[in-house]
Amino acid sequence: MTLTAKDFKSDLKPIWCPGCGDFGVVQAMYRALAAIGRPPHEIAFVSGIGCSSRIPGYTTAYGFNSVHGRALPIAQGIKLARPQLLVLAAGGDGDGFSIGGGHVPHAIRRNMDITYVVMDNQIYGLTKGQLSPTSPRGLQTVTSVGGSLEQPINPLLYVLAYGAGFVAQGTPADMAGLTSIIEEAIRYPGFAFVNVQSPCVTYGREDQQIKAHREQMKTLVSLGHDATNMADALARAQHYGSELYTGVFYKNPEPPQTFEAQARERQTQLGPSARPRDRILDMFRQH
Amino acid sequence: MPTKGIDYRTISLRDALDLAVLVEEEAKERYLELADQMALHHTPDAEGFFRFMADNEDKHRVELLERRHKLFDHQPSGVTREMLFDVEAPDYSEARVFMTAREALETALRSETKAWTFFDKVLPLLLDIGVRGLFEELRAEEVHHQELVRRELAKLPPDDAFCHEDFADEPVGQD
Repeated sequence: MTLTAKDFKSDLKPIWCPGCGDFGVVQAMYRALAAIGRPPHEIAFVSGIGCSSRIPGYTTAYGFNSVHGRALPIAQGIKLARPQLLVLAAGGDGDGFSIGGGHVPHAIRRNMDITYVVMDNQIYGLTKGQLSPTSPRGLQTVTSVGGSLEQPINPLLYVLAYGAGFVAQGTPADMAGLTSIIEEAIRYPGFAFVNVQSPCVTYGREDQQIKAHREQMKTLVSLGHDATNMADALARAQHYGSELYTGVFYKNPEPPQTFEAQARERQTQLGPSARPRDRILDMFRQH
Repeated sequence: MPTKGIDYRTISLRDALDLAVLVEEEAKERYLELADQMALHHTPDAEGFFRFMADNEDKHRVELLERRHKLFDHQPSGVTREMLFDVEAPDYSEARVFMTAREALETALRSETKAWTFFDKVLPLLLDIGVRGLFEELRAEEVHHQELVRRELAKLPPDDAFCHEDFADEPVGQD
């Protein structure tokens, strides 16, 4: 069955501001899913809260626009309950690294076959322009008129340090590249992270819009980067915020077994000695 | 290059026509998307113009498709939409809430220029005479389209000094 991008586009019209980077992201998502070839009913797409978290509703996959910062735990629950589904998670930088930050390390170390796409615009857009965890130091907003005093989180270093097996970054300024990265992330057999520099056209910095991305971006391939080398990946990731590197930072050449595969193996091993369901409570009765 | 997986040295006339059809189709669909965005964000002048552009792109698409069918009937295509990345379609980043008719026309002008640049870049790669002829024709068409847009732009008064984005109260609610 040949699928096209249109098969993944829902009838709901996006309410994102005209010019929003997320239009490019959802388009890249449609194309990547078409290339993967799984039909929409075999895909579960979970998001948190924010402008970018509306993305599941704009696809024909089973979507769950859930609660703030909780896309990853819900995505993991879905994957455990229905391992045959292709599970995607998405959200913004605030959803993922502020309120949702506590879930990221555990999702990474658990290593379920989930692809997590963060639309990183360095601002809280839905709530009209407050600092986010990736906002650069000194950024002035309506609620931080003196400028941010905090160092931003580096999402690339964050996920690499926690051991993510696949880490990449893209921008809608390079649609072919972004599509390719998302497809590769979905194909990776384990937890995959894609940071998309997706500018907020309304509350973001003027000098960080798509036009600027086109001028600034440097593909990791053109720099001779070795994506199988973790030390190289960490070195490149340090430049988050000062350079716009796109492509795959790290891809584990020997992906470890996923959590769900290990859980199945454990179930098979313990199966013969498992008690019948109606006798399980016996374990807790005092003798 | 805004295409992927196409070898221009060996592309057939059939596939070149299909490519041209898909370029117009991609542009038409993008103009419709931008028009819908303008409608949602209460920007009627730009909406109207983007729908007009979508109709024009569709007319070109139909003309090229008829030509393709005449020559190659319903032979299967070697070119798909997945190989194109905004050849003539305006970038999503071109749109702005409350954009004026002038700004919308300037967006169209940049798209027509982008398409001209694409055909111009590809021409030296083409080895097939028939395909070269087609791409030269398509490149010349883009010049004509640019002239049409410039003529319309000349009729418009200059935009006022307000930055319309300063009056944006985004985001809007989902219907």
